[in-house]
Amino acid sequence: MEHNQKIRISDSTLRDGNHAVGHQLSAENIASYCKAADAAGVSIVEVGHGNGLGASSLQLGEARTPDHIALATARKNLSKSKLGIHVIPGFATIERDLKPALALGVDVVRVASHCSEADICERHISFSRSQGVEVWGCLMMSHMISPMLLLEQARKMESYGAEGVVFMDSSGHFIPADVQQRVETLVNGLSIAVGFHAHNNLGMAIANTVAAAEAGATLLDGCARGFGAGAGNAQLEVLVAVLERLGYSTGIDLYKILDAADLAEQTLMKEIPTIKSVSVVSGMAGVFSGFMKPVSRIAKEFDIDPRDVFFELGRRKIVAGQEDIILEVAKELAQRAKKGNQ
Amino acid sequence: MKLECQERTRHDCLRILDGRDKALDPLRQSELVVIGGTGFVGTWIAEMVAALNDGYQFGIKLSLISRSTDQFANRLPHLANRPDVSLIKSDVRQLGQFPANADWVIHAAANPDVRTHASNPLDTASVIVDGTMSVMRTAERLSRLQKLLYLSSGLVCGAQPVTVNGVAENAQGAHAPDACFIYPNAKRFAETLCSAARAQSRIPVLVARPFSFVGPYQSLDTPWAQTTFLSDALRGHPIRVLGDGQVVRSYLYGSDAAYWFLRILTAGQSGDVVNVGSPVGVTLQDLAIEVAKNFEPSPEILFNTAPRSAGRSAQLLPDTTHAQNEYGLSVFTPLAEAIKLTAQWHRMQSH
Amino acid sequence: MNRGTVLQSKRKLKVAIIGSGNIGTDLLIKVLRSPYLECGAFIGRNLSSSGMMKALALGVPVSAEGVDYIVKNPDCCDLVFDATSARSHLEHAPLLKKLNKRVIDLTPAKIGLMSVPSVNLADCLNEFNVNMVTCGGQASIPVAYAIGKTQKDVDYIEVVSSIASRSAGPATRQNLDEYIKTTEDGLKEFSGATRTKAILNLNPAEPCVDMQTTIFAKVANPDIPKLAEMLSGLVEKIRKYVPGYEIILGPMVENGRIVVMARVRGLGDYLPAYAGNLDIINCAAIAMAEEYASAAPNTKLKGH
Repeated sequence: MEHNQKIRISDSTLRDGNHAVGHQLSAENIASYCKAADAAGVSIVEVGHGNGLGASSLQLGEARTPDHIALATARKNLSKSKLGIHVIPGFATIERDLKPALALGVDVVRVASHCSEADICERHISFSRSQGVEVWGCLMMSHMISPMLLLEQARKMESYGAEGVVFMDSSGHFIPADVQQRVETLVNGLSIAVGFHAHNNLGMAIANTVAAAEAGATLLDGCARGFGAGAGNAQLEVLVAVLERLGYSTGIDLYKILDAADLAEQTLMKEIPTIKSVSVVSGMAGVFSGFMKPVSRIAKEFDIDPRDVFFELGRRKIVAGQEDIILEVAKELAQRAKKGNQ
Repeated sequence: MKLECQERTRHDCLRILDGRDKALDPLRQSELVVIGGTGFVGTWIAEMVAALNDGYQFGIKLSLISRSTDQFANRLPHLANRPDVSLIKSDVRQLGQFPANADWVIHAAANPDVRTHASNPLDTASVIVDGTMSVMRTAERLSRLQKLLYLSSGLVCGAQPVTVNGVAENAQGAHAPDACFIYPNAKRFAETLCSAARAQSRIPVLVARPFSFVGPYQSLDTPWAQTTFLSDALRGHPIRVLGDGQVVRSYLYGSDAAYWFLRILTAGQSGDVVNVGSPVGVTLQDLAIEVAKNFEPSPEILFNTAPRSAGRSAQLLPDTTHAQNEYGLSVFTPLAEAIKLTAQWHRMQSH
Repeated sequence: MNRGTVLQSKRKLKVAIIGSGNIGTDLLIKVLRSPYLECGAFIGRNLSSSGMMKALALGVPVSAEGVDYIVKNPDCCDLVFDATSARSHLEHAPLLKKLNKRVIDLTPAKIGLMSVPSVNLADCLNEFNVNMVTCGGQASIPVAYAIGKTQKDVDYIEVVSSIASRSAGPATRQNLDEYIKTTEDGLKEFSGATRTKAILNLNPAEPCVDMQTTIFAKVANPDIPKLAEMLSGLVEKIRKYVPGYEIILGPMVENGRIVVMARVRGLGDYLPAYAGNLDIINCAAIAMAEEYASAAPNTKLKGH
């Protein structure tokens, strides 16, 4: 089946993957993987703390490699591939974070917000656009609002000057029909490109990403071996193979991306991402994958079941960046358990 | 209000609620505010709330906001004097005293009387547009608001050709920007204000598009087919149908409509648009015949042979697939029954 | 605070509020409730706005002439709350300075001294232009101050605030960067920490959540009992003017850092109760004004 559809792949191994190692990727890691991804012909290589530029913090985890070193290192080791960053207003400011990043040679800026809060991205998108770089809007935890409301938010980003909108399944909650519906709604309602970022909590990342492509998305995210938050992302080298099989052209050399994945497995990750029980639960509950580590740690401290914590966080509709609420929930559940035992 | 009339409308509500009350559970122990609460829709919602409270112990506190609270209290003391009902006299454009603890708000303030639209187009527009802006600004300050339902109009999508299917919510089309279309155009703009309020102030607002209704509490003095036919018949006159009687309308009974609105309010998602009306079309000729059936001797039906003026809508019929699929709503009171109940109620009133 | 020693025969301090939106109107209700303040003018641009109508209903003199009203009627007030915009405040400030009026700046302009009532009330008495920092600043600076005073070698303080999405209007959303910078500067100034970081999250959960602020501190050898003691005294002070302020977690050490979590529920005067972030600023502004009321006319204005 020939699609003749050009798909761009945005490789988030060195950004989403940072979640899996507590943001401890080193400059050497960045240099070696960038070389491999560049050689394979990946369109965009995204680099940085798991929560993006300026997010290194006690709240979200301190990065081993500061933003400026990470970006300078990546820039040095990418020639054909574009260097991308993930930017969340409220964490990253234009003066302190974005300006210096652009000065270091970033090509692609993806300004992200929670799916219902696109208007916080206005200034960052406008600024990036004025600097002549490629700008995308990014809508996180997109399962939390209806496709129609997602389109409303995407339209805001379009009006600010974004050249495309990526919607993310941050908690790995979607099944292919969900993705298809959203891509169709966005493609029909926008005049700019649409992209999709999958997570694999329910084992659906590849299927979801393929559904996105079939429905008209032209930018797809993936990570080597699925290296990313929680249960990981769409496995990049598998995605490339599947897209090739389906007749899409990604511009990526299969053997070289497999080499890059081997390198990632050997040097970047402590373990290859799998879907653990807690990830199944967070996917079902619709809670941000990046909560896995703090939830496991805090649940152990308070001697309660991490799965209960996830369902409670899901019930409260807690969003990414609110890791501090985990402590409060754990306290409450522990008290409830104590009362129950009395 | 005669006791038998009160019993009739109460029975109409209980009949609908039988087996369907659970769907309205989110209303239990909550505060509901209806703006424009003394009109046809507001009155039927008050009846439905009274039935929910008396028959099912829902414990709803209802506030009705309107300019005409005095007339309402005079006409309908059985509703106005209830301890669970508060009347607030206010113009929708200046919502000074507004219940701060409202959980649910229905914005139903507008005058659908086409005579007013024709004589006072600016005032008509002001109530709808300034009124909706005022409601949205006031809603920003509500701490507990769960949902706000705006009652727009089935007319916003413009004139519809005669087809078997009704107009769906996503129909394209609008009226020309002329004063004769002030009402649907103002309603259309008010829907846009709702969307803007959601975008800017995050108000959880959804829209219902009412089509035509029939039932007690609808003033027979209004220039609509269902009311003029009834009025003619009740006075013992022939039923006069303007035009050739082939215009198609549909009618949803009052208690059905109240249930539909409450169900959509509580189950709907912010951003949704839902047609509220009967999908079963009836020509005005057949409507006249149906009305005539309820009278002994049966009144004559006269057709006006003047040609139909260009631009008048030949059909006003909703496609209610969305209401059916998303909310499980359908017509509970078929038209024949609806006409019969309405005719009986008016006769009870005047005896 | 010397609230308890106000002289009985004291005349109330006359204030004007410029800015008749939700924030200004909420402020008005607080002013009218205060035993030390009275509202000489409620000023906006649109006489038919809901705030203006509320003021009229409450018998407060209103004007749609903007700051010109104060210029034309200088006796209407001694202190001005400016709840307009940064750009407008930059126009108002020099005019009001010439008229010798105290100014409490509630806009993002922030050209004057930062005021956090439980911490630096006395320092502000000599200023004629103060601002209330940010909502996250008001909630966290007292904690940061306590950390700075009770802990050795405060390397880093980080404050994460979460506010209800519905409480964040276009002005907040377009000024996130300014919010972050001002809060970080405030934290540094009041705590003496080497580095500071501020993060703001908008939480779209329904029903709307109250404001919640978490303060993290990296300190070599945390002394929690000392911190807890100072903090409890400060919280008592804060609750006098922000009754909805509460420490809900800590101070404790978690994962090697000091953690304190505060929650602010608003009074619901005119703004919704969940908008604790907006209420804490207004409450702090009132506390500042009441302090001016108690102190005047004994305090000389700086620069005169």
